[in-house]
Amino acid sequence: MPPKICVLCEKSKAMVKRPKTGQIVCRDCFFYVFETEVHNTIVQSKLFNPGDRVAIGASGGKDSTVLAYVMKTLNERYQYGLELFLLSIDEGITGYRDDSLETVKRNQEQYDMPLKILSYDELYGWTMDAIVSQVGRKNNCTFCGVFRRQALDRGAAMLGVDHIVTGHNADDIAETVLMNIMRGDIARLGRCTAICTQGEDTIRRSKPFKYAYEKEIVMYAHFKKLDYFSTECIYSPDAYRGHARAFLKDLEAARPSAIIDIIHSGEAFEVREEIKATQKIQQTCQRCGYMSSNTLCKACTLLEGLERGMANSGITDKARKKLDAAGPTPDNIRTIPFFKPPSGSPAVTIDVPL
Amino acid sequence: MSSCDNPNVEQDSLMTRRKKYDGKTKACVKCKENTGHVVIRHAVYCKSCFFPLIEARFKKSLEPTINSSGPRRKTLKAAGSLVIGFSGGIGSRTLLDLVAKTYYAPREVDEEKLRGGTNHPRNKEQGVWTGKPIVCFVDTSSAFSNTSLVEEARIIVESYPGVFDFRPILLEDAFDQDWWRKVGGDLSESASGLGLDITDQDLRLSYASTSTSECSPQTALRAYLASLPTRTAFYNAIQTLTRVLLLQTAASENASHLLLGTSLTSLSVNLISGIAQGAGFSVAEEAIEEWTPEPGCGMKLKVVRPLRDVGMKECAMWTYWHNLNVIPSLNAVENNGRNAIHTLTRDFIFGLETDYPATVSTIARTCAKLAPKETPSGVCLLCQRPTHAEVQAWKAQISIRTYHDAASAVSGNTRPPHLTENEIASLTKKTQDDLSTSSNTLTPFLCYACHTTLTSRSSRGTTLTLPPGISPTNIPIPRWITQPMALSPQRSNFLNADGEVFQSLKQTPEDLKSRIEGFILSDE
Repeated sequence: MPPKICVLCEKSKAMVKRPKTGQIVCRDCFFYVFETEVHNTIVQSKLFNPGDRVAIGASGGKDSTVLAYVMKTLNERYQYGLELFLLSIDEGITGYRDDSLETVKRNQEQYDMPLKILSYDELYGWTMDAIVSQVGRKNNCTFCGVFRRQALDRGAAMLGVDHIVTGHNADDIAETVLMNIMRGDIARLGRCTAICTQGEDTIRRSKPFKYAYEKEIVMYAHFKKLDYFSTECIYSPDAYRGHARAFLKDLEAARPSAIIDIIHSGEAFEVREEIKATQKIQQTCQRCGYMSSNTLCKACTLLEGLERGMANSGITDKARKKLDAAGPTPDNIRTIPFFKPPSGSPAVTIDVPL
Repeated sequence: MSSCDNPNVEQDSLMTRRKKYDGKTKACVKCKENTGHVVIRHAVYCKSCFFPLIEARFKKSLEPTINSSGPRRKTLKAAGSLVIGFSGGIGSRTLLDLVAKTYYAPREVDEEKLRGGTNHPRNKEQGVWTGKPIVCFVDTSSAFSNTSLVEEARIIVESYPGVFDFRPILLEDAFDQDWWRKVGGDLSESASGLGLDITDQDLRLSYASTSTSECSPQTALRAYLASLPTRTAFYNAIQTLTRVLLLQTAASENASHLLLGTSLTSLSVNLISGIAQGAGFSVAEEAIEEWTPEPGCGMKLKVVRPLRDVGMKECAMWTYWHNLNVIPSLNAVENNGRNAIHTLTRDFIFGLETDYPATVSTIARTCAKLAPKETPSGVCLLCQRPTHAEVQAWKAQISIRTYHDAASAVSGNTRPPHLTENEIASLTKKTQDDLSTSSNTLTPFLCYACHTTLTSRSSRGTTLTLPPGISPTNIPIPRWITQPMALSPQRSNFLNADGEVFQSLKQTPEDLKSRIEGFILSDE
């Protein structure tokens, strides 16, 4: 049987069947279309301006490793004029994050980008190992997710960058659309398909891989032989997301376009105006100055619970009431340093590859 | 496993399952006296409180939609007649029973107490809708080569003597010229030969003078379904055809309301399934919609789902306690639909409803808070729902399927680096040639979801084969598409009054030169 020919260039042997389009393409065409689609996303969404300082949220996993490589490639090819940094958050998970950070450090040298690592321990006084030892495995992802979001913004502020890009891919976004519908999170549903989000005082945050399939990211990393860390977080089980993910995989198997179809659906609707009017107005946390929908931001609430030995106070209303009944916040607990928006120049020393 | 039932999750990280009901006793939460018989969303109800509860929810969803807009009236009076879509399932069986008992049950009147006698206009019985309600049953057996269930449906509908008119509709009516004439459409002989080239990604329309126009509606239906690229598309097409058949029939009966027995559970399934198939723009239409037929073909129709606040379990309890028969689902749907998005979603939501009933209502409540981001640019010819512009531009923007766009960058850094300029030029030229002949396509008239249904492929395709004599380049299309396509400005590209086919082809300077080549003298 003769080899199948790439449907795009019509000359080379096809090597992959693109999950996104179902087309069979050669390796070179796959690299070209994958990179160009990311470029189109960046250009059409006007994500960057020349001279922007951009931090790439790097975990050492496949998504962020491919993102760092592609951002560097596109920045050089299309002369975006960006100053790229790697920004990693060390959650303090022994046997997982310490290993993946080694990968990020290698990426720093391979891609010749400055790296900043900010740890939960440094910022909150708690590592995830310590948090899990107090709260158990249930709900630990709530702590990690809330703390990471703020840590990334704070790390970016320290680097003096204008923009953070993360490796969220099309599968992640489709999954989030489904999850937000199922749990009735109308505020997040309204913004989860936006390619770029920005709150008051916070740094712009974008997802250049918004339309890139997870499978294609893995293929890209595989064919380019990129150095990435592929272990799942040892505390990762998030039951609710697990449900949504398993369902999405079934949908994708039934019809591969399901992922992009869900994203299209998410982009086609919005929250009704009368509902928007009832949503909480964004304010700043009285304690740490970070954006919040209440007087205290979620990170401060969770941290106070941990410090006072009532970790669930940030999770359930009942535990929150118990915390309130225990009296006012003591003065001697650790709090998060007050948030300073980026000033344009780095406020910390960063590791520059030699 | 005691909780979320995700096998990949360790036991100690799971959410604990909520108690089946909140109260400390099994007493009914409403009357507080009787022992409860059923648990509805963590609350216990006794049998005698259950029935008024369901009736109240049914009325609450339906009655605000009955009176046509205008000053508020005390009495319920619809602008037209009533059509009920009946599938024979638990939801529509409950709906039929509720409609019959709520609006068509004989009134018990004490004639002696009536002022003015029984013939006084005040005491004369006035229905909410004009005329006798029509119950439509869409028979889908031809799609699955199963036994028809029309007689079972007829027995159920006629079990309410004198209340309803029974109107069976065949799924293949969508391809039947006679049916189309009956519901108000008119189709020239020439336009009936229009078909779809399913082998073409642009969904080019083609014209055949014989095979397509002459095949039976049943063959046309089977050809249409067999031509679809995935099982998801197969089941979606049946749903769409059923819905539009009901809309067209209701409009032809001058109905102001079409009632469907979609329960809360089915609504949640439809919402998630629709979103997963790209129908987010019309997500609000799943709960309540208004459809305007072609001028002269009926009045504005409200499609109402009065059981949208009543779960599948409550419908099942209603039918069980009233000893009502339901028609079993077609086996073919159960067995072969496993790889279809709608079936996967249904299994997922039914599973959720068992353990987390609140999630099912959360889905419906969340989607009720959504609206289309843009103003609709028109109506999709296939599903008859609002659509927005630039669907194709969006698809082209997120994925590169040809090197057409490389033409403008043939010498720049944006061209495929592994190809020479000549290679790109030849690929680009080919693509442009394709485009020049693909102007007569159905694509611009479809919404995102319908276009995806017809074009999105999967390695797990359908196993159906086209009926003999049907060409994949001329697949029959539903009659409500054929007519507007034949009458649209595109018609100038297609058919003249005699049914002759015309196509406009873009010609390159080379083409023109080749035509006059013999007439040009060389310089030598």
